[in-house]
Amino acid sequence: MSKEYVTVIGLEVHAELNTQSKIYCSCKNSFGAEVNTQCCPVCMGMPGTLPTLNEQVVASAVKMGYALNCTINPVSKQDRKNYFYPDLPKAYQISQFDIPLCENGYVDIWVDGKEKRIGVTRIHIEEDAGKLIHDNSFAGSLVDFNRCGVPLIEIVSEPDLRSSKEAKAYLDTIKAIVQYIDVSDAKMQEGSIRCDINVSVMEKGSDTFGTRVEMKNVNTFSGAVRAIEYEAARQIAVLEQGGTIEQETRRWDDQKGQNFLLRSKEDAHDYRYFPEPDLQTIVLEESYLSQIKDSIPELPNKKFVRYLADYDLPEDDASLLVASVEKSAFFETLVAFGDVKPKSISNWILGDISRIMNETGKSLDELEIDAKALDALLLMIDQKKISNSAGKTVFEEMLKTKASPEEIVKEKGLLQISDTDALQEIVDQILAANQKSVDDYRNGKTNALGFLVGQCMKASKGKGNPAMMKEMLLSYLENQ
Amino acid sequence: MEMDLKRLAKLSKLRFTEEEEKKFQGEMEKIVEMVEKLPDLDASGPLIDPDSPMELRKDVAEKKFNRDELLKNAPQVQAGCVVVPKVVEE
Amino acid sequence: MELYQLTAWELHQKLTTKECSAKEITQSVLGRIEQKEKEIGAYLTLTPDDALAQAKAVDQKLASEEPLSPLAGIPIAIKDNICTKGVKTTCASKILSNFVPPYDATVMEKLNGTDCVYLGKLNMDEFAMGSSTETSFFQKTHNPHNTEYVPGGSSGGSAAAVSAGEAVLALGSDTGGSIRQPSAYCGTVGLKPTYGTVSRYGLVAFASSLDQIGPIGRSVKDVALLYSAICGKDEKDTTSVRRDYPDFAKEIVPSVKGMTIGLSDEYFGEGVSDEVKSAVMKAVDALKEQGAKVVSVSLPSTDQTLAAYYIIASAEASSNLARFDGVKYGYRTKEYASLDEMYEKTRSEGFGDEVKRRIMLGTYVLSSGYYDAYYKKAKFTQKMIQEAFRNAFSSCDLILTPTAPDTAFKIGENIHDQVKMYMNDILTVTVNIAGLPALSVPCGFDTKGLPIGLQMIGPKFSEGLLFNAAACYEELLGGFSAFSALK
Repeated sequence: MSKEYVTVIGLEVHAELNTQSKIYCSCKNSFGAEVNTQCCPVCMGMPGTLPTLNEQVVASAVKMGYALNCTINPVSKQDRKNYFYPDLPKAYQISQFDIPLCENGYVDIWVDGKEKRIGVTRIHIEEDAGKLIHDNSFAGSLVDFNRCGVPLIEIVSEPDLRSSKEAKAYLDTIKAIVQYIDVSDAKMQEGSIRCDINVSVMEKGSDTFGTRVEMKNVNTFSGAVRAIEYEAARQIAVLEQGGTIEQETRRWDDQKGQNFLLRSKEDAHDYRYFPEPDLQTIVLEESYLSQIKDSIPELPNKKFVRYLADYDLPEDDASLLVASVEKSAFFETLVAFGDVKPKSISNWILGDISRIMNETGKSLDELEIDAKALDALLLMIDQKKISNSAGKTVFEEMLKTKASPEEIVKEKGLLQISDTDALQEIVDQILAANQKSVDDYRNGKTNALGFLVGQCMKASKGKGNPAMMKEMLLSYLENQ
Repeated sequence: MEMDLKRLAKLSKLRFTEEEEKKFQGEMEKIVEMVEKLPDLDASGPLIDPDSPMELRKDVAEKKFNRDELLKNAPQVQAGCVVVPKVVEE
Repeated sequence: MELYQLTAWELHQKLTTKECSAKEITQSVLGRIEQKEKEIGAYLTLTPDDALAQAKAVDQKLASEEPLSPLAGIPIAIKDNICTKGVKTTCASKILSNFVPPYDATVMEKLNGTDCVYLGKLNMDEFAMGSSTETSFFQKTHNPHNTEYVPGGSSGGSAAAVSAGEAVLALGSDTGGSIRQPSAYCGTVGLKPTYGTVSRYGLVAFASSLDQIGPIGRSVKDVALLYSAICGKDEKDTTSVRRDYPDFAKEIVPSVKGMTIGLSDEYFGEGVSDEVKSAVMKAVDALKEQGAKVVSVSLPSTDQTLAAYYIIASAEASSNLARFDGVKYGYRTKEYASLDEMYEKTRSEGFGDEVKRRIMLGTYVLSSGYYDAYYKKAKFTQKMIQEAFRNAFSSCDLILTPTAPDTAFKIGENIHDQVKMYMNDILTVTVNIAGLPALSVPCGFDTKGLPIGLQMIGPKFSEGLLFNAAACYEELLGGFSAFSALK
């Protein structure tokens, strides 16, 4: 390759909102129901029916607008986008054209150890289409209207992304935010979050964007990465061969790892947008808007950066914690006590607590963990009054009985033994009983040490200070 | 006045024989001439009426229709779905 | 006097005093249908058995001394673009020829509560596009005054049925004059209500921002009764207006004393026939004698208004009628190899020429490159027209115009000249563009013996005032029934 190129990416993310009812009728907004059982004359586009706008759709879109630092248009409208397709019963989609609910925002994403700000052009509300079912055993296609009228927000980014990695970080951030503020389940496998991708390439150092190509049918974020890399390479190859890029729409086939021309610029749809005459103006009062604005919590992308800076957490810990509203809130409660190192708290939340949540299927709230009691427990571990493994036993007991950690430790005699003589006695016993492990270690099988520590812990009924016993074992194994 | 009848027909999913096309072209041109009598006025700015705010619907789900009723009028139904000629997914 | 010749209010009196039964009323009207329908052709669907059953239920209520609504037992017919649960609703189109809605329009739900009797569904121009009821896929409807003539349109079946005594009252719909112009042609009273006062839910949309359902009857009081029954805020139609709606029929005071009538030269221009002009001016003079003042008002050119109307109405129609694609309901072509072929053949075979022209016009004015010059400009023209009416109503209470430039024309006379056909709407479309209420009442006959219509236009929500003025004129003429073809 003779020249260097920069990839320019803009994304249009569609997220289905998690409202009770659909956007323009009272049908249930649900996934996975039997075909055509979540429909009514309105969402099936029957003659004479009229749409009525769901207030929660507006509230959720505005919430997302504030989360992405947008200006909210207090007066906006809806428009019809006209085209024929069997999954679109009215042959028009009610969307927003020139006056979306939210405009001119941004979101900060984390790439390669630093923050990058990505512009958000607009967020608008619209209705989802139905689903076509293709079955090769049958000559036609089947139409399921259940998804018709499921509320969507479309989040359009500025062409500020410069790599597939940035695009992935942007998508992950958007997903985390919609889940965090609870406007969408954002389940990729259910198609409740999807995206269209605009890609162009330009020579490095240029400030003129190349011709952009739109890619549709990108259903996963990892697919987005592949699609962007494929398309950028395709465009560069065309340019390198002296060709030009045509403005066109291409369809991504994730299985084949290729995209295919869907329509050229000449065949581009003429959607004939015009104001939806069946709906009136959306007018939002200032008090309503400020109420929604005030309800926006600190968002995961900002929390993440703060956790790195303030608590010195590894990126993995920080991203796992902020991905959950509950876990990050619980983390912050414990950190606020100031008794235990943030990393120790993070280990507990991401380790045992998350494991128990998974096993029981309960939320943190449902587990009814007393933060103050947990803090006391962690402090005991931190101060080596009890061992980490004893801590786990205490914690499980706490969940069961709601007793305080001090009581449990006392009752079960779990206070850690740090008395050198007592520990040496145990170590000696174990060494004597496990000559084979001693030989193994000395023959280079160093993992025998772990086994011996484990045996010592067992012999001390979990109360021995493992670090001290390990030292004692090592000094024997290495020296005698 | 320039009216590309073929393009309009395609957009509207209508098809005409050549004869019909000739007839419609003539008729449509006269109609367009009639609607060109709009006054000369400033038509800039968005089309929006802030004076008629809309009442929004409460987010409550309810089920009022069953599938059989809704598909009763469909020309072709199979497995609880409406049938259309095979299409390639967009 | 036969029962079918009476007004709803008169029939209500007879019912409550037990001078006749609901069954007798329904039988009288069904008999009249039997006698006249062959030559008139007003109905697309008749439901006589249901009608008799409903009448029987009213008689039972009457027998058990239950209070009756004024419309109880009154035979009413419905334009075939209003959805009726379980009864075919075709819009007089091949494409909906087999459509049976699983739901009632809101106006039907409201009427169900009045215990009125439904006779059936009425012919119309296909999808309400037309001024003569000749674009119906199924049949022509004939003017009861002279069957060689059109009844007007698009609610031609509604006006013809009421005029001929084949219904006591009817519902029509009015997008550009479709209630008023056939009322004028058939000699009935027709109201196009203020936009937003009657729910459009269940009215198969032609032009959403202009369509209104309204009543047609043989007296002002009857029209007020039916209007009172169907108006009101509907949660299912966000364009319907929340406000206090009075009992219009009860509140009628037949007087124009102190009212100021506005007249605009624009509405008495060269296209308007001399006979029509003089009949309307005679009515104005009569009202003047009753104490009304007359002033002249300035209104925008009717040519400009007609242009804006056809652009807006067709644009919306092109989108509203896109759903008729052979997928979910209605007609589907028999042979096709692909989706596009199915769409194109279904729609080309299913729609008539007039509907196709409107769809193409609407598609044209919305298409890329033309939107600003046509659709957007038309919407701004609409704003200008609305403003002009606001100004006009600052100096008068109501505006009188002819309803149509001339009386009914012969069947087939205008069918091949669309622009000439569209000129029929030139005096009525303004009202829809401005969202105003207007009433058409008879004001005489021409030399051919065809009725002439007088249009009364008021500011938004002034239906009460229009009823008062019209009732005053009605008294002067000794009732409007004489303009119907009841003999």
